[in-house]
Amino acid sequence: EARVSAQRNSETKGFSVESFSSTGAEKAIGCYHASVQELIVIDDLLSALVGIEGRYTSIRRIHGKEDELTFQVDPSMDLALQELAKRIFPLCESYLLIDQFVESRSQFKKGLVNHAFAAALRALLLDYQAMVAQLEHQFRLCRLSLQGLWFYCQPMIGSMNALASVIQKASSNNYAGVDVLNLLQSQAKAMAGDHVVRTMLEKMAHCASSAYLEILERWLYEGVIDDPYGEFFIAENRTLQKESLTHDYDAKYWHQRYSLKDSIPSFLADVAGTILTTGKYLNVMRECGHNVQVRVSESSKLRNLGSNHQYLECIKAAYDFASGELLNLIREKYDLMGKLRSIKHYLLLDQGDFLVHFMDIAREELTKKAEDISVEKLQSLLDLALRSTAAAADPCHEDLTCCVERSTLLKRLSTLKDFEISKTISANNDLEEPASITGLETFSLSYKVQWPLSLVLSRKALTKYQLIFRFLFHCKHVSRQLCGAWQVHQGVRAANLKGTAVSRSSLLCRSMLKFMNSLLHYLTFEVIEPNWHVMSNRLQSAKSIDEVIQYHDLFLQKCLRECMLLLPELLKKMERLKLICLQYAAATQWLISSSVEITEPVLGSGRESVFRSSSKTLKFTENATVTDSILKFETEFNAELQSLGPILSNQSQAEPYLTHLAQWILGVGNEQ
Amino acid sequence: EENDVSEEVLVRDVLYACQGIDGSYIKYDESVDGYVLSDVIKVPRATRIMVHKLCELGWLFRKVKGYISECMDHFPAEDVGTVGQAFCAALQDELTEYYKLLAVLEAQAMNPIPLVSEAASSGNYLSLRRLSVWFAEPMVKMRLMAVLVDSCKVLRGGAMAGAIHMHAQHGDPLVHDFMKRLLRRVCSPLFEMVRSWVLEGELEDIFAEFFIVGQPVKAESLWREGYRLHAGMLPSFISPSLAQRILRTGKSINFLRVCCDDRGWADAATEAAAAAGTTTDRGGLGYGETDALELLVSEAAKRIDKHLLDVIYNRYKFKEHCLAIKRYLLLGQGDFVQYLMDIVGPELSEPANTISTFKLAGLLETAIRSSNAQYDDRDILDRLRIKMMPHNTGDRGWDVFSLEYDARIPLDTVFTESVMTRYLRIFNFLWKLRRVEHALISAWKTMKPNCISSHSFLKLQQAVKMQLLLTLRRCQVLWDEMNHFVSNLQYYIMFEVLEVSWSNFSNEMEAAKDLDDLLAAHEKYLHSIVEKALLGERSRSLYETLFVLFDLILRFRSVADRLYEGIYEMQARSTDASRDKKRRQINSKSAEPGSWVSEGRKALTQHAAKFLTTMDQELDDIGKKYSSLLKGFLSQLPIQQHIDLKFLLFRLDFTEFYSLSLSCNVNLAK
Repeated sequence: EARVSAQRNSETKGFSVESFSSTGAEKAIGCYHASVQELIVIDDLLSALVGIEGRYTSIRRIHGKEDELTFQVDPSMDLALQELAKRIFPLCESYLLIDQFVESRSQFKKGLVNHAFAAALRALLLDYQAMVAQLEHQFRLCRLSLQGLWFYCQPMIGSMNALASVIQKASSNNYAGVDVLNLLQSQAKAMAGDHVVRTMLEKMAHCASSAYLEILERWLYEGVIDDPYGEFFIAENRTLQKESLTHDYDAKYWHQRYSLKDSIPSFLADVAGTILTTGKYLNVMRECGHNVQVRVSESSKLRNLGSNHQYLECIKAAYDFASGELLNLIREKYDLMGKLRSIKHYLLLDQGDFLVHFMDIAREELTKKAEDISVEKLQSLLDLALRSTAAAADPCHEDLTCCVERSTLLKRLSTLKDFEISKTISANNDLEEPASITGLETFSLSYKVQWPLSLVLSRKALTKYQLIFRFLFHCKHVSRQLCGAWQVHQGVRAANLKGTAVSRSSLLCRSMLKFMNSLLHYLTFEVIEPNWHVMSNRLQSAKSIDEVIQYHDLFLQKCLRECMLLLPELLKKMERLKLICLQYAAATQWLISSSVEITEPVLGSGRESVFRSSSKTLKFTENATVTDSILKFETEFNAELQSLGPILSNQSQAEPYLTHLAQWILGVGNEQ
Repeated sequence: EENDVSEEVLVRDVLYACQGIDGSYIKYDESVDGYVLSDVIKVPRATRIMVHKLCELGWLFRKVKGYISECMDHFPAEDVGTVGQAFCAALQDELTEYYKLLAVLEAQAMNPIPLVSEAASSGNYLSLRRLSVWFAEPMVKMRLMAVLVDSCKVLRGGAMAGAIHMHAQHGDPLVHDFMKRLLRRVCSPLFEMVRSWVLEGELEDIFAEFFIVGQPVKAESLWREGYRLHAGMLPSFISPSLAQRILRTGKSINFLRVCCDDRGWADAATEAAAAAGTTTDRGGLGYGETDALELLVSEAAKRIDKHLLDVIYNRYKFKEHCLAIKRYLLLGQGDFVQYLMDIVGPELSEPANTISTFKLAGLLETAIRSSNAQYDDRDILDRLRIKMMPHNTGDRGWDVFSLEYDARIPLDTVFTESVMTRYLRIFNFLWKLRRVEHALISAWKTMKPNCISSHSFLKLQQAVKMQLLLTLRRCQVLWDEMNHFVSNLQYYIMFEVLEVSWSNFSNEMEAAKDLDDLLAAHEKYLHSIVEKALLGERSRSLYETLFVLFDLILRFRSVADRLYEGIYEMQARSTDASRDKKRRQINSKSAEPGSWVSEGRKALTQHAAKFLTTMDQELDDIGKKYSSLLKGFLSQLPIQQHIDLKFLLFRLDFTEFYSLSLSCNVNLAK
């Protein structure tokens, strides 16, 4: 504050002109001879040209308005001289305006662009003052007439006028920073017809932007915002920390840490996005502790704002450098592909042995209710499964963690606001939570992602992975249960059960198994694998990190869509089918044991029977309830499966991949 | 032309005024605070305004000049400082430039100004208008200087440099260059200080202008308290993180010099300077070369920190000492601890005030010699001492005994008093745990010889025999329960806590780049032990419960000892009796057999029944207390924040015995 007041103080010192305006002229000019009058007028005009009142000229200010002032002459002057003098006054007025502007804009708080602009104006004014001094010399040599003065002033009048109008606009709107630059440029374009004025304005714009370009240069080449007066068009939000990426669903850090402001210099408007990302990339590298120094040569200096667009080349080069470097860093040092592959192993169930082992040892814990499950126990079981299978060879396996969610898959999908599914689901509003959801429905893996990989594997991406994982995991579970049921059936194969309920049940079991396996096959081989390959090829050829993020997101979105996770209607059907399968699998044991009697051979009944049927005999007993329930399961399952047909064929118009699914799971049904 | 004075005179007067000198017409006026042309002189209005405008320069000059002379006059006496001095010198230089211009102008002013009427003799004259052209640039500079003088008047040192730096943020190239030149001069003393601090560890700061402040402290707290940053003096062009690195580098040098008595850092410093492209001589750094400064600091920091760690690791064997502390103070060396416990045990059971430290020291030495610890470095073993803590009346030796490790300079920077007290707390806890374990094992020793078989008590009544068996069983079960608890706790502490923390610590020790990292790693190590071993503030109640449990176990041990003693006695008596009987039977096949025996048997039975009843009661009492305490302990465990404590719970309650009984109780209560 002391600084500003001092500034004011030292400025007003030189500018208290008003106090002198009262000391008027002694004699009216009319008493002199016309030739003397001309000399006096010329002397006065020379003063007026540098903004000083003379004997017979005075400045009239309109109160309250700083920049509206007019020069006046003594009315007793010779009329011809008066007219001649009045022609020159606009120039004097422009000078005063510009001078005032220079003084006010040199203050510190006005910003770098204003400073530079003021400095350029000051240089111009200095030329102008020198010209006036030259005119004075001519005057002293008696070579200057009023006409001559007018003639000599000609070259300046146009530019000074144009400048004065620019300045009036700038100061009335109190422009700073970008606005000044834009004003100068647009004005230069508007004055295209007047070559002199145009070049002058262009020069002004050039000078004014030099300080601005320095800020731009630091941002482009170092990723630093060195902007003491807040003029740069990129804003930094320091409250966002890079650590937030690992839990912030919207990845605010990446999108909002640096943002474009509203006002962008017109000459940079097209490349503003590129400039923003360039600095962002450099910043990422710096945050990684990776020091990049862009070699700054003379040719890459952002100096020339001419029409040759050299600066555009520079920006392009800087962008290419930064994106290439960052991509290399993330690919090579942080091994993005390795991470993605590892995530695929676990979250997309590409590594079977680990999962089977885990399901075996964690079954008991997972069948508990979601709120009773101890996550620590699951975690240690997961670690055990990881270490005792092939996954142990993967260096990233320690990053895997597990979590248990609170809601079902459908519910979770509906809470994610950016999926289109949420609308359709919430519209239906029939999402009552099943009374008891077990860990099997809510279990999910998670993955610890470190900066800077969290740029690609953001919270959102991981959430999508988790959604796919939960779906796959549950399908796997159902399939395993059905396999168990099938085994039970195998156990009673020895008995001749042709035409009984058991054989019917066995058929049903097989068709369920076929359904589940086809579904799994579709999900893994028809959806995930091909899409993964497409993505991985694209990532190899990607040129910037934004492209990588985009391709990765695309992959996830495509997988989600093709895994039917975005089609609630279909997904609900699938859930329903899986539920029937599960119920059936759970009931199998009871069905079989109550319909097939395993009679222990009676010890005394004869030895030969022991040899014949391996110490047991199986005897089928007709049981009405069993037959009923098997039939019920069968009709229910078939009905659901049949109803899937129209839905699939309806939607396959819009979603062609569904025809594949239909072929897989309904293939037999279509033939019939 | 009707002027009182000619323009030449006025021009000359303006030139004088611009050097702060009163001319014949233009004088300094206190009331308006500026140079004015006296009103009595009649000149045209334009001239008057012109003169007034030009004289602003004089007013500014006066201000700047006044500041410079004030500073120069007061220099050594008053608080100006080297930065202020440099500032004055730089201003003075600018003024010299200005004088040069004035001298040229003065010469020009001597030429007469041609009047309109007469023919011009020479074009090289100076009019007021020409003067205003000449003065345009000096005016800008002078204004800037005046502003700086105004804002820097009250500031000193780094703060002044920072304030000037703030003014350098100007878009006008002229101003920018001017400020840069000025700052280069102003900052040179500061940069010199940084250089000598970073490369030599010298604090050459007579006027307290540097952003690092030193204070005399003892060698052991030199690292923590010896030097600190003075935020007020930190110029804004040096970032806080850089300042922190600068501070640490110099501190490292001082630490090496004072505490480690090392000279090797000088080579490291020279190397660093060479790598950064400067020499260790004066000069070489300047304002605006933040990159160079950063490079120098990072090079120096890298080398000196490495050297410091080398010295600490290799010459002062930090790792070995840490390991020794882990082995002796944290009871990592099992055979040594076992032996020590064996031989000092009897001694420590005495009241605290009767124990002689010398004797204990001797025993410690014996323990060292007879365990594998004897192959350890003598230097390390010499540092191991017995420490008796202050005792109250009634304290036993167990309560006051502890081991101590003497970390000499410079390692006492890491192992400060407070750190050692924390180690002591951990030691006490571990020692107690060991003692309890030891007690349980020795109880097992008495219980183990399973010769107390029922056949030796054949003579006892059936009921008493049953009672005896029940009591023995109760004792056995209780022992098992306690042993399960203690050995699992022991396992948890030794493996899950100590070893895991140690392994983390040694990894971090490898990765540490400077002493601060090392200190932080050690702090983390200690903290994790304290937290996980239930010694933290949050687990105070758990810790207290644990100690009550320990006391209960010790009490159990004495009860068990008494029980078995009693049983042995009974056994001895009954065998005596039976032998007596046999002898009698052999010696004199008297007429009334069994009268003595039956009487003896009856007394024995009575005695046994009584003894067993009291013992049974006592065991029952202990058992009840123990199970309720343990239940409390287990129920508190899950509330603890630390995740590892959950694993302790798993371990203790692996078969879900306790949680089942707990939930049973809850159900019953319902």
